[in-house]
Amino acid sequence: MIAVEALRSRAGAFVLRDVTFSLPAGAWGIVLGSAGSGKTTLLETIAGVRRAESGRVLLRGADVTRVPPERRGVGIVYQHALLFPHLTVEENVRYGADEPDYAVALARRLGAGQLLTRGVRELSGGERQMVALARALAPRPDILLLDEPLAAVDPRGRTRLRRELRALQRELSLTVLHVTHDFGEAGTLGDLAILLDEGRMVQAAAPETLFRRPASAAAAEFLGAENVFAGSATPLAPGSDDEAGTMQFHAGSLTLVGVGETGAVAHAVIRGEDVVLARERGGTTSARNVLDGVVVEVVAHGALARVTLEVEGLPLVASVTAGSVSELGLLPGSRAVATIKATAVHLC
Amino acid sequence: MAATARGRGAHRIAAAGVVTGAVLLLALLALPIVVLLIRGGIPGLGQLGADHELRAALWLTAQTATIATLLTVLLGTPLAYLLARARMPAGALVGALLDLPLLIPHPVAGMALLLAFGRASPAGAALAQLGLAVVGSRTGIVLAMLFVAAPLYVSAAREAIARVDERYESVARTLGDSPMRAAWRVTRPLAGRGLLAAAVVMWARAISEFGAIVILTYNPKVASVLSYDRFTGEGLEAALPVAAVLVILALVPLLVLRSLRAGTALGEPAR
Repeated sequence: MIAVEALRSRAGAFVLRDVTFSLPAGAWGIVLGSAGSGKTTLLETIAGVRRAESGRVLLRGADVTRVPPERRGVGIVYQHALLFPHLTVEENVRYGADEPDYAVALARRLGAGQLLTRGVRELSGGERQMVALARALAPRPDILLLDEPLAAVDPRGRTRLRRELRALQRELSLTVLHVTHDFGEAGTLGDLAILLDEGRMVQAAAPETLFRRPASAAAAEFLGAENVFAGSATPLAPGSDDEAGTMQFHAGSLTLVGVGETGAVAHAVIRGEDVVLARERGGTTSARNVLDGVVVEVVAHGALARVTLEVEGLPLVASVTAGSVSELGLLPGSRAVATIKATAVHLC
Repeated sequence: MAATARGRGAHRIAAAGVVTGAVLLLALLALPIVVLLIRGGIPGLGQLGADHELRAALWLTAQTATIATLLTVLLGTPLAYLLARARMPAGALVGALLDLPLLIPHPVAGMALLLAFGRASPAGAALAQLGLAVVGSRTGIVLAMLFVAAPLYVSAAREAIARVDERYESVARTLGDSPMRAAWRVTRPLAGRGLLAAAVVMWARAISEFGAIVILTYNPKVASVLSYDRFTGEGLEAALPVAAVLVILALVPLLVLRSLRAGTALGEPAR
């Protein structure tokens, strides 16, 4: 288990502050945030190589805020592996191991058996990360901190490393905290996603919740939401049987029905994949938002396409399959109808 | 067209000025050494077999410079580490203090050492009690060499250590090392080439020291003092062989340094 409470830490002039979350034992936590948001500082403070100015770090339920890194039982893998360049692969892997045979077996398991006698400068990016992973796990930690370990790895190696990481986490019952820029990794690996921005924690939630219900417009934009509208919300008329938090949102002449936390709502967030397109109105639908628009742009991304409609003077982006684009004959200038469920309009 | 031609002409004049300036400076630096070696090198080397005083001075110089260097490596490396890793309170002040011996005239450094460690001073009296009298002794020579050359070592060692990515130590700490053990197992080998180069620079500076040594210890004579002694007592011709041999001795660390710098730095993070 990893928990931090009101954590504050410093890296030069940069300050990480007010970070609070709890990751259960055996869970996989993802840390997201733009460059310079404090992701590495957070990991280093949990590992103990960076001092916490205030707040607490709890590992396995025990307060380790003042415990040195060598006694925290935490392994760390950095983006650039940071293998010791004066040692061979085997010496690297055995560096912190009480059981050298286990370390070597781990390296073999990760596919680094052929590399043991090599110098680390001869390794590819993927090989380096495999060796760094074996080195970090050789002392048998039950907590593993990963600082973008897949970023410098080619796509093929990345798939393999991701698979090995997942398998090892299950086998060794590791609690993992993983910094990444890859939202795909966040979705497929994470049990908890923590979003940092400019040294502050914006949100900590299940990845699905983080992506569907971002805490702010800035968070939504960082997380890749295609549609973020600024405006204001009003509660629906009394007597409505809508779920709690359903509100009417106004942005210029555009009116949407959406769901959000009560309080000051200033934005509506809609993910592109939640916008369903049709050529004309028709048929019955339970969706609360049916909007007429004109296609202004179609951009293909492999099997998917990003279609931008102009709706009430505002751009509305829909992510659809390339097949749907040709099936519906969506071309710039053509008319289309966008349908969005109220629950897909997140008000924040 | 005319403007372009004028521009090219100005460029050529500027280039010629730069080259001429560089050649002049190089000549200024190299000419005295070359002349000294031509005039005194062969006689100096020839004299080595017969000139007992010269041999003794050279041996004493090498010995004391080595002791001063070893002492500095022992005491200065931890200091350089603390400064490089910004773990020393008032590090900027300490850095400035370290630069001071490099800036003051060396005879002045000798006088300061005499005041601090001479027979009349408490520290000097205590050292004398231990059989380490500073004035007129090898101890004085070592002390003078250390005072003027140690800052060079600490400064270069600090840079060598700072070039080693601190995160290597962080990784070592998470792998079970204490701070000292991580520095010993990771930073020391990675900065090793730079530390050795720093020690060579210090040794070279120590063997060429004159000003501070001559104040503290005229006798026994190191090579630089012997050279001065013969120059003042017997004239330039008598001093030339000693001076030339001293230059040849200084070339050894220079060559070592060149070969060290030609190697690849280990401390750069692997990427």
